[in-house]
Amino acid sequence: MMNDMVIGANLGQGGAKDSFTTALGLGTGPVPVDSYISPEFFELERTRVFGRAWLYVGRTDQLPDADSFFVKKIEVCKASVLVMRNAAGKVQAFHNVCSHRGNLVVTEQSGNSKLHRCAYHGWAYGSDGSLAGVPDQKNFFQLNKKECGLTPIATDVWEGWIFINLQREPEISLKEFLGPYAESYAGVPYGEGHETLVIEARFKANWKLIMDAFSESYHVPAIHPATLAPGFSHPVHNKYARPLSGNTFGLHSAWSAYGNPEYAPPPNSEVERLACKVDTGGLLGSDVNDEVLRLRAHPAINPTKETCWSADVTAIFPNFNIDYSTGGYWTHEFWPISRNETHWILTIRIPKANSVRRRLQLEHYAARWCEIVLEDVTNCESIQKGLESGAKDVMYLQDGEFMIRHQQEILRKWVNAQTVAEAMK
Amino acid sequence: MAEPLLPSGFDELEQFVEYWVRDTNNERWKQRSKASMEEIQRFYDHMLARAEDAIAHLDAFPLDDMPPASERLFKLLLAIAHVAMAVEMHGQPIAHRAQLRSDLQMTQGPWPFGGSSKEQSKRDLEETQ
Ligand code: FES
Ligand SMILES: [Fe+2]
Repeated sequence: MMNDMVIGANLGQGGAKDSFTTALGLGTGPVPVDSYISPEFFELERTRVFGRAWLYVGRTDQLPDADSFFVKKIEVCKASVLVMRNAAGKVQAFHNVCSHRGNLVVTEQSGNSKLHRCAYHGWAYGSDGSLAGVPDQKNFFQLNKKECGLTPIATDVWEGWIFINLQREPEISLKEFLGPYAESYAGVPYGEGHETLVIEARFKANWKLIMDAFSESYHVPAIHPATLAPGFSHPVHNKYARPLSGNTFGLHSAWSAYGNPEYAPPPNSEVERLACKVDTGGLLGSDVNDEVLRLRAHPAINPTKETCWSADVTAIFPNFNIDYSTGGYWTHEFWPISRNETHWILTIRIPKANSVRRRLQLEHYAARWCEIVLEDVTNCESIQKGLESGAKDVMYLQDGEFMIRHQQEILRKWVNAQTVAEAMK
Repeated sequence: MAEPLLPSGFDELEQFVEYWVRDTNNERWKQRSKASMEEIQRFYDHMLARAEDAIAHLDAFPLDDMPPASERLFKLLLAIAHVAMAVEMHGQPIAHRAQLRSDLQMTQGPWPFGGSSKEQSKRDLEETQ
């Protein structure tokens, strides 16, 4: 198992001095690309990865009160998951499938209800999943209502993040699954009462291609020359946007992104100036406040404590990122639909607007995000086409792309392993 | 007399109301991406010249409770963030090497006038599939 390791970047003269890849015990050779295009590989991902790993489905603040619920479709496992908070406050997920004849019970995305009634014949379920009512029950044969509740799905919560496991009897607990990641990131502050922004896309590329796009900053100068490069690279000190640190935590991994400390809106950027007048944080849209200071003080965040730090990207296997920055935090969900189709959800949490100018700044921030992801998504589809051609059997990963290598290694283990215990070795 | 479109003093911006006043972040983004660079530049120049005045005017009201004319001005002001992407970053209506697409949406934008509730936006997303 890979250790918890941190290597500093000594970035003074531009980029990492040490190799993250070798220090983390990862290989350095070319990496096969079959995992992006092979139908057989995808089938194994479906059953052995998504069918056995703990999967992120939502955050506890989406269930603010007793009887709150939301529905999460997990298309890769063909599951409709109903996540509810019961009267006692406990969060539990169920298959959103009626015990009578299998209809999907809840059709709203989210809400609050003590009772969920199936539209077909009216069987009703409580917020604890129990079967509460059956119309014309007398006409059934020895119906034991106690046995006919919704089918529970293994559920656990870490730091407010709700995870489920679709195995009937999970082979691994969430605690073991998160392992050293959970220990390192325990107690990281998440902003309270934040604004939630959501950007979603469905597009034609393997799910890992969009995940890869957020696993490295090597592409930033080329793909995001106007939107990101000025803030996240430096013409002299960090021309290629090298990461500041790199880490693995068992199945999971993290890297710290460089931020250009000299960044200021270019002279022609009148609107950026106008919008950011109240602000000291620049590109990521933050003020230096208490919350940011507490975040920066956490040992797992920017672990080498570089001054030119902008954000940490952390990847929780298989398809969930939590990223922390000076201006709030955001998450990515990379959901496969099929071998070459993905539903990707970016959720950004950032302090709410309290003035017209601050609201304009948020619009500017959101607009910039939209541009960035448009660049990424367009590029992912282009890679899928390139790989589908069969021209290449392997890809060559540089040191700054260690997270992709790590993900590929872990993924292959899970795909090949008969049991989770074997995959965890 | 008809209701003025914009608060008094902002009459010269009325020509932009029809195209640029939109209810959500996502729509403002799409409007800008579909516009020509000439239209974008014209709106940018006019709106930028009055942006500080607009902020000063709008600051008198709660963010989510403005008279209709002021609310329109607010939405017009918000659109300048999007045209700035084209004018100040790309020098063209959308990012280089990128294509406007209906399967990419900001399904929830900043409050207020950022975007539909999550349910509404999910429906929008599904409709585009
Ligand atoms: S299928 Fe649900 S009540 Fe019949
Ligand atoms: Fe990118």
